[in-house]
Amino acid sequence: MTVNSQPIISIRNVYKFFGSLSALNDVSLDIFPGEKVVIIGPSGSGKSTLLRSINRLESVDLGAILVDGVDISTPATDINLVRQELGMVFQNFNLFPHKTVLENLTMAPIKLRGMSKSAAQALAIDLLKKVDISDKAASYPNMLSGGQQQRVAIARALAMTPKIMLFDEPTSALDPEMIGEVLDVMVNLAREGMTMACVTHEMGFAREVADRIIFMDKGEILEVGSPDHFFDNPRHPRLQKFMQQIL
Amino acid sequence: MAEEPVRILVSDGAAIADPKDKRIITAWSISITAALLALIGLCVFLPDPFWDLLQFISDGILVTFQVTILSITISIVIGMFTGLGRLSQNRGINLLASTYVEIIRGIPLLVQLFFIYYGMGKFLGVGGIPAAVIAMSFCYGAYMGEVFRAGISAVPKGQTEAARSLGFSDKQTMWMVVMPQAWRTILPPIGNEFIAMLKDTSLVSILAVSDILRRGSEYAGVHFNYFETYALVALVYLIITLLLSKAVSLMEIRLNYYDR
Ligand SMILES: Nc1ncnc2c1ncn2[C@@H]1O[C@H](COP(=O)(O)OP(=O)(O)OP(=O)(O)O)[C@@H](O)[C@H]1O
Ligand SMILES: [Mg+2]
Repeated sequence: MTVNSQPIISIRNVYKFFGSLSALNDVSLDIFPGEKVVIIGPSGSGKSTLLRSINRLESVDLGAILVDGVDISTPATDINLVRQELGMVFQNFNLFPHKTVLENLTMAPIKLRGMSKSAAQALAIDLLKKVDISDKAASYPNMLSGGQQQRVAIARALAMTPKIMLFDEPTSALDPEMIGEVLDVMVNLAREGMTMACVTHEMGFAREVADRIIFMDKGEILEVGSPDHFFDNPRHPRLQKFMQQIL
Repeated sequence: MAEEPVRILVSDGAAIADPKDKRIITAWSISITAALLALIGLCVFLPDPFWDLLQFISDGILVTFQVTILSITISIVIGMFTGLGRLSQNRGINLLASTYVEIIRGIPLLVQLFFIYYGMGKFLGVGGIPAAVIAMSFCYGAYMGEVFRAGISAVPKGQTEAARSLGFSDKQTMWMVVMPQAWRTILPPIGNEFIAMLKDTSLVSILAVSDILRRGSEYAGVHFNYFETYALVALVYLIITLLLSKAVSLMEIRLNYYDR
């Protein structure tokens, strides 16, 4: 994996508090173009908070987050423009239920990128083919299975041609038999060179695609390393315990 | 993902039939059949006074609908802004909207009608129908505000997050993603409010507005047949309300188009 020297995401000494609880505690992390970072850790360790602070769905209390060199927490930054470059996939899909699958994909490119309707539709149909669900373009999301909805959600995010994709436990809400179809899409995306930050418990996926795995606990990054490192000689006792539990 | 749509119950409009109830004999079908048979029977077999009466109050029916439709339209607009105001992060806007709701809800509609017509009439000099529309709109606007607030709050937070994460602004998210979904929960209670309002417009007959009730009173005042008159007036209101409640329940079915 070729890695440029300029990080696309730079998280610098970030703190986030919910009341007295510190959800992020002096977290620093750089993500480079083309890199695939997998974030793991026990429930409540701050994985979602970290991912969501990258596109400012959560705003951090201290520290800075730079996307493509732009500090996203300064008032001068138009966060809506930054978000257009960051695709996000949620645990619960969050497709727009009042729009068809095709409209879910074309809405943002038309309204935000000023794309013509026909161009947006052509792009959407290409993406739906890519996630192997082009036959459902005219359906409403509630008519699809969970796995199908999540693949549409990935395609919706891709329709904005983001520079990086953020995944927050994309397969956790799925029945076991549907996890594979979503992971396949993500693996393909990784192979195409997409920059990815992914919170997941799917260790097989992590092993296959991750350049680095990040282990978080209690709002802190406790260990960073390659998949081999994580599987063969995790150092921190809490990570050792965590790996035993999930494998 | 197929959650039951949230139902908002704000006022005691007519009972809205359960849209899924496919049985033929229901409270609704019994009521409408009885009411229509009674109306037709009375007009055919006792045209004097009933057919005569019905013709006399027919322009009152138009006035009742006119006041109701005008008031409901304005109150929807007021309600939408009130609901958005109640959900606003801006404390000033929030307080303004909440105070309005608090005040209006504490004053009986009849008193509001009197205040606007007789009280403000001195300064505004508005006629009966405008006064009625103003009072009804502001009164129902407060209730509509609650309907909108509840409907907007019922849209899952994930919808807003998904839209914002794509890059949509606050406003775009509200108008393109949240509101279209909120309508689904908002429209049925608005239908209820419409029915409740239609009944409440009978209050405006006091302001010399020639609605159904007022026309009936005028007729009875001349012919001294109060029993027959008010029986027919009641029947007319009942039939209108029953038909409207059916319409609301049909609308509810249509609104669920994107469900499985
Ligand atoms: N909006 C909020 N208000 C208050 N506390 C919050 C909020 N969001 C998260 N927290 C708390 O912050 C901590 C970190 O939460 P976060 O969702 O980031 O954990 P997570 O690692 O994603 O957990 P999970 O695996 O369960 O998704 C938790 O203790 C959580 O309860
Ligand atoms: Mg989480």
